[in-house]
Amino acid sequence: MAVHTSQSVVKAAGENTARGRSRGTGTPPPKPGRIRRALSVHWYAWAMVAPVVVVIGVIIGYPLFRGIYLSMTDADERNVARSIGVNEIPATYEFVGADNYIDALTGSQFLDTLGWTLVWTVSCVSVTFVLGMALANILNRRIAGRSAYRMALILPWAIPGFVSVFAWRFLYNEDRGLLNKILTGSGMDGIPWLNDPTWAKFSVIAVNVWLGIPFMMVALLGGLQSIPSEQYEAAEMDGATAWQRFRHITLPGLRPVSTTVVLLSTIWTFNMFPVIFLLTRGGPGEATQILVTQAYKFSFEISPRDYAQSSTWGVLILVLLMLFAVVYRRVLRSQGDNW
Amino acid sequence: MTTATDTPARHAVRKVRLRGERSPLASVALHLTLIIASVIAVFPVLWVLLTSLKPAKFATTTDFFRETTFVNYTNLIRDTEFLNWFANSVIISALSTVIGVFVAATTGYAVSRFRFPGKRGLMWTLLITQMFPVAVLIVPIYNIMSSLGLLNQPAGLVITYLTISVPFCAWMMKGFFDTIPREIDESGEVDGLTPFGTFFRLILPLAKPGLAVTAFYSFITAWGEVAYASAFLVGDENLTLAGGLQKFVNQYGAQWGPMTAASVLIAIPAALVFLFAQKHLVTGMSAGAVKG
Amino acid sequence: MRRGITATALVAALALAATACGSDDESGGGKSSGELSGTVTWWDTSSVGSEDKVFKKLAEGFEKKHPKVDVKYVNVPFGDAQNKFKNAAQAGDGAPDVIRSEVAWTPDFANLGYLAPLDGTPALKNQDDFLKQAVASTKYEDKTYAVPQVIDSMGIFYNKKLLKEAGVEAPANLDDLKTAAKKIKDKTGKTGLYLRGDDPYYFLSFLYGEGGDLVDAGSKSITVDQPEGVKAFKAVKALVDDGTAKTDASDGWENMMQSFKGGDVAMMINGPWAVADTLTGKEFTDKDNLGIAPVPAGSAAQGAPQGGHNLAVYAGSKNLDASYAFVEYMTSVDSQATAAGELNLLPTRTSAYAKQEAVDSEIVGFFKPVVETAVERPWIPEGGSLFAPLGIEYTKVLTGQTTPEKAAKATGDEYRKLLKDWK
Repeated sequence: MAVHTSQSVVKAAGENTARGRSRGTGTPPPKPGRIRRALSVHWYAWAMVAPVVVVIGVIIGYPLFRGIYLSMTDADERNVARSIGVNEIPATYEFVGADNYIDALTGSQFLDTLGWTLVWTVSCVSVTFVLGMALANILNRRIAGRSAYRMALILPWAIPGFVSVFAWRFLYNEDRGLLNKILTGSGMDGIPWLNDPTWAKFSVIAVNVWLGIPFMMVALLGGLQSIPSEQYEAAEMDGATAWQRFRHITLPGLRPVSTTVVLLSTIWTFNMFPVIFLLTRGGPGEATQILVTQAYKFSFEISPRDYAQSSTWGVLILVLLMLFAVVYRRVLRSQGDNW
Repeated sequence: MTTATDTPARHAVRKVRLRGERSPLASVALHLTLIIASVIAVFPVLWVLLTSLKPAKFATTTDFFRETTFVNYTNLIRDTEFLNWFANSVIISALSTVIGVFVAATTGYAVSRFRFPGKRGLMWTLLITQMFPVAVLIVPIYNIMSSLGLLNQPAGLVITYLTISVPFCAWMMKGFFDTIPREIDESGEVDGLTPFGTFFRLILPLAKPGLAVTAFYSFITAWGEVAYASAFLVGDENLTLAGGLQKFVNQYGAQWGPMTAASVLIAIPAALVFLFAQKHLVTGMSAGAVKG
Repeated sequence: MRRGITATALVAALALAATACGSDDESGGGKSSGELSGTVTWWDTSSVGSEDKVFKKLAEGFEKKHPKVDVKYVNVPFGDAQNKFKNAAQAGDGAPDVIRSEVAWTPDFANLGYLAPLDGTPALKNQDDFLKQAVASTKYEDKTYAVPQVIDSMGIFYNKKLLKEAGVEAPANLDDLKTAAKKIKDKTGKTGLYLRGDDPYYFLSFLYGEGGDLVDAGSKSITVDQPEGVKAFKAVKALVDDGTAKTDASDGWENMMQSFKGGDVAMMINGPWAVADTLTGKEFTDKDNLGIAPVPAGSAAQGAPQGGHNLAVYAGSKNLDASYAFVEYMTSVDSQATAAGELNLLPTRTSAYAKQEAVDSEIVGFFKPVVETAVERPWIPEGGSLFAPLGIEYTKVLTGQTTPEKAAKATGDEYRKLLKDWK
């Protein structure tokens, strides 16, 4: 069924040269009925990928299918299998089909949470990208103390995320946090950083941007350094202004790097559990709850724990992200990007 | 000096300014921007360090120094399970990294070099598994671990972290192997080595920096993981650092003394490794994650 | 549906009871030679830095009495303990032998089959000595699943010095509270009241004050969305809006305690569990500066919730006998008297109130009548589940994200999902 890429390999094997290393492009279509020969040719490649295939199948594939199955049941804390000491209580949950999906997609909770999750993701990624780009461009110039600045700017990435989040929670405290002490000390009113819904949204985004800038900056800096300087020299000869150079050389030159980091950080931000969980627990009320933290809450924090709904949300998140990745790729390809 | 570009901030310049040239005013502006950005980046971390050196009752004062003391540290080590948490975190992160790199290395190579039936599917699987939200796996894995008796055990968490580290390592190492010239493989062939021989004898030694970088990222991912650790580990001495720190700051109390001391002890080793190795890590990342 | 669940739980409970009787010579320990041995892990949820020290010392006392038993004391933050225990209990691994279970958790745990029934075990001694209100929460479907350790209710704590400076008395109702707060603000510049905005438990006395309740277990009906509930939401919102009270949507406990201990607010609504911590504050180095009065009445009534903590034994414990003995010891008259003397916590045994330590504690003396008239909560498995939806709406009201009417309705809707065939 999947032998269609093996033509050149088969040919190579037929010539008995190497063990079928096929680097060639533009392979002609395969001839059918060569599965056994395919096996004899590809066994090493398959052997090499076997460990990963097995591990993924067992520890990701199986739980994934169980998760999908759970999302189609009414499983909760009271009807799943439990073992208490020597006593086993068997599972009694039932299959309910697509009910959970219908509930999630027709109710307001999922859609409201999705709305905020999108706002959160778009603002985090775009702000991080713009600031990361600005800093990368500055750092890419000749400037005194460059490596010291770079060390300082990279620090938020070097500290484990949960530590930084706690540090921010410490600074944000409305009565005794340093930020408000500075504000009130200079005669202004304190800000309810985590206590007002709008400010809390701002605060969680700010922390995530703080955490995300170093990665963005470093990646873009790498991209900047790979742009050939001849291009700039030629542009200068033609009398291009700084902005024109940025617009027509830097941005296109950064395109391969940017597309990848934007994709990655979109996925990471969409699923960013620790920032929300440790900073606000989704509060005040549910103002900062994103899909992932809400799904976690369903399965581990409410009572009775709703495993079915949690799995439903999990599957929906995965579907959304996969759709995003496919659309993103398609858009890039339609713009002639061969990514 | 081969590279330098201009920032968008200077588009209003009338005369065309060449790269590397700038007015003193622009220099000041650049330095000012960098200084502000650096202060924002460093200050929260610095503040935690300063707070950890103050007696707990002054934790929320604005003084930089006040009765400097190490009492928070001694209390942390003496009265809490901090050292256990630290050891658990090290063991769990290290095991999941080593196993992840070990399992994924040959796959990264195979995907980088060969065409074989199923490769496309595998690549997509590797990509998609990296966007798995914790929410889709956590309940089933929790139930499976619980039925295997592995919940609340380091082994259970190591297996769980492999769901993150294996696809990540395979994907990233593919990127590294892509940067190693194919002539090396060909020379191996000429010498009559099997693909495995070529990989282990020729490619792997060359890929050591890549392996190290991959391992490092995989390690810090596990080191900073919160969701699984919070849900799977109970009790006291079994926790990892991410779970343990939540004991200090939660809905019913905030003990900033031990909290800040623990933060410093956790952050220092990570930050040191990171800052010293950053050159490699950065090149590694652009070769691995970005190019991949 | 509900019947099915209960039947399962009942079967489980019976099965557990059967093994509990037959497990005397299990390897984990027990009393094979008449002497208790092995390890007993105890999850305590008391406040770190004050209560935990006393309870830890008490637990060590048990080791002296039974030298072969090793008590492993673990302090689990109160906010995490319910979830952590469920995680561990469902998995059958890592769960403690004994847990300090908040009164509302106990029926929930029992319903899930996690707790060992204690009737006829040494854990229950002199059962008739326990206060009737305290015993209510330990029963589930005619069995006893826990032993009451402490009982509590709430009152309004005030800083005597600040109130005196402002020339006001402890407020008896919400109107008094508002005028008092205004005077305090004028005279001292401090805020009148700290109202915890992230924990709906602190909302209950206002709900009772308007004559409302969450649910009515007798008639199986949901009452939080009645007009009284709306009025209660309006009342707390008004307190925050006119500056009588300040509140927080996060870190509420810590902020409340720090502000009160530091003299930044003059009053807070709280319970005996906060006394030991309060007395560590700089405003209360002189203990007499702390005053406690009944919670202010609302427009219809006056009342505070009855709460407390029980000790329960995990059904999967490998050392049931020592666990029973430990529970008995921790809830004995002497242990309760110690807790009353050192921490001002209220005993659950009538005879403990006669002990000198309890008699000497003014705070115990104050709370005893409060507890006796406190509003009893519904002891149903869902009792603990009622707070999560309420908490969200409560915080939303205080932070202006929703109206009192909508909040009451949303809470009621959630309750109807939770309590399937209730009105």
